[in-house]
Amino acid sequence: MDINDVKPTRSELIELKKKIKLSESGHKLLKMKRDGLILEFFAILNKAKNVRAELDASFKEASEKIGIAKSVEGTITVKSTAFSLKDAPQIEVESINVMGVVVPKIESSSVRKPMNKRGYGVLGTSSYIDEAADSYEILVEKIILAAEIETTMKRLLDDIEKTKRRVNALEFKVIPELTAAMVFIQLRLEEMERENTFRLKRIKKA
Amino acid sequence: MRLLQKFRNIGKSSQYKGSSNYAYLATRVRAMKSKLVPKETYPRLMNMGISEITRLIEETEYKQDIDKLARTYSGVDLIEHGLNRNLAETFTKLIKISEGEPNYLIIEYLKNYDIWNIKTILRGKYYNASQNEIKEDLVSAGQLSYTFLSELAGKESYSEVISALEGTEYYPILIGYDETNLSDIENNLDKMYYNGLFNVIGESKSKDRKLFAKFIRTEIDIKNINTLFRLKKAGVKQDEIVDLIIDGGLELSTNSIQGLLPLSYDDFIQALNKYSFWDSISDAVGSDTDSLINVETQLKKHSLKSASSFSHVYPLSIVPIMDYIISKRNEVNNLRIIARGKAANLSDEIIMNQLVI
Repeated sequence: MDINDVKPTRSELIELKKKIKLSESGHKLLKMKRDGLILEFFAILNKAKNVRAELDASFKEASEKIGIAKSVEGTITVKSTAFSLKDAPQIEVESINVMGVVVPKIESSSVRKPMNKRGYGVLGTSSYIDEAADSYEILVEKIILAAEIETTMKRLLDDIEKTKRRVNALEFKVIPELTAAMVFIQLRLEEMERENTFRLKRIKKA
Repeated sequence: MRLLQKFRNIGKSSQYKGSSNYAYLATRVRAMKSKLVPKETYPRLMNMGISEITRLIEETEYKQDIDKLARTYSGVDLIEHGLNRNLAETFTKLIKISEGEPNYLIIEYLKNYDIWNIKTILRGKYYNASQNEIKEDLVSAGQLSYTFLSELAGKESYSEVISALEGTEYYPILIGYDETNLSDIENNLDKMYYNGLFNVIGESKSKDRKLFAKFIRTEIDIKNINTLFRLKKAGVKQDEIVDLIIDGGLELSTNSIQGLLPLSYDDFIQALNKYSFWDSISDAVGSDTDSLINVETQLKKHSLKSASSFSHVYPLSIVPIMDYIISKRNEVNNLRIIARGKAANLSDEIIMNQLVI
């Protein structure tokens, strides 16, 4: 707000005072939101660290198990057995609100199946195949969980950044400018008051 | 079509025709066995990379197969497909050069490859896989030729595949398939294979056939014990396990298996300590063992060890032929384990544990 554009009137002063009060309460609320989001972010960060570690471990385990299955049973056995699984895991994405930030909630079903319900025959397969399938089911579950937590974290981080910018804009730009304009109007009004008083005195003398 | 006709005729008959050529077959098998990769080669292979392994395999009986497939595959896929092709060619050759009783026994024993191929084709159709994808997974080491299997893989639907198998012994089971019960059909086909083998071994009382029977019944034991381990570990109900048990085991009779079914996983493990395979698996089992891979590997080693213990007796019988089939299959498995294990960056310890040398 350019100080030259300010009209030094009482109504403008009242308007500015209202704006300052609103900005200050907005600033206070946004600061509280920012702090709340940061707390929420750190809670999620710990979860994300654990999930990422679990995901890495699951991937390592799954790679090893599929490696063993491919080497002992052969790639063609693994591939042929995989043909008997046609059902893909069902994933539903819902939204939940964390302090005004919309984050995803991912629900999955049909990821883990009992060994005898996977679609392939038990007698013609082996525990190498079972354990490779098991470890990949666990890996898919971890990926879904990690996707939910990491997307939540990313959204929170974006919102923290946005809120921080707003808080700073209010604190260092909007409120100081409004205050400066208010001070200017007050000074100008006082000046006008003094001019009026002086003018009245001169008229009285004359 | 002639191949199919031949297959159908053999499938219908449980009797073998012609005179047995054990002497000729044993000589051919002895020559074939001398060409197997020697034990000393495996430690050398462990220190090689994929390309070096391919080169070394090319210096053996697998050269022709590797050369033929080199345009289609590369790296570890070339090794695996080359090994499978050679296995299929070798076992088909055994079927072709045998006559009479040994031919009948070999065909019966190698039927698991036919069953495997039928299962793969049905799975492929269920998944809507292309003909080429299905063909890549076929190993025509049994009675069904690769040409016939390729034709089956090219059929539009599973019903056409089943119709093409009409008149075979698999048809009565396959006719019950309705795209919702693939696992049941697979289990029934596998049970049919073992029941067929059990019927075969019950036909003769000669000493060599008794050894053959011992081998088959040990295989049934190992299959049953593996099934029990897997299903009990997965917490499958007793009545569902019963349907998956195969009759005719050597140590584990149907009654003794019935006794194992109601036991908890821990008690089940405890109950196994009276059987001959316990020493092989005792270190690998335990209620806190997450993985059954070591148990299954040890059981496989036990089965092969017991088979090799009687491989040198009765030289003019089915015994050396079975020994060759097992040794050849084991060689292919060992070479694949090393190549695939290295490609998957498995540790040397894991690879060595899976090898049966």
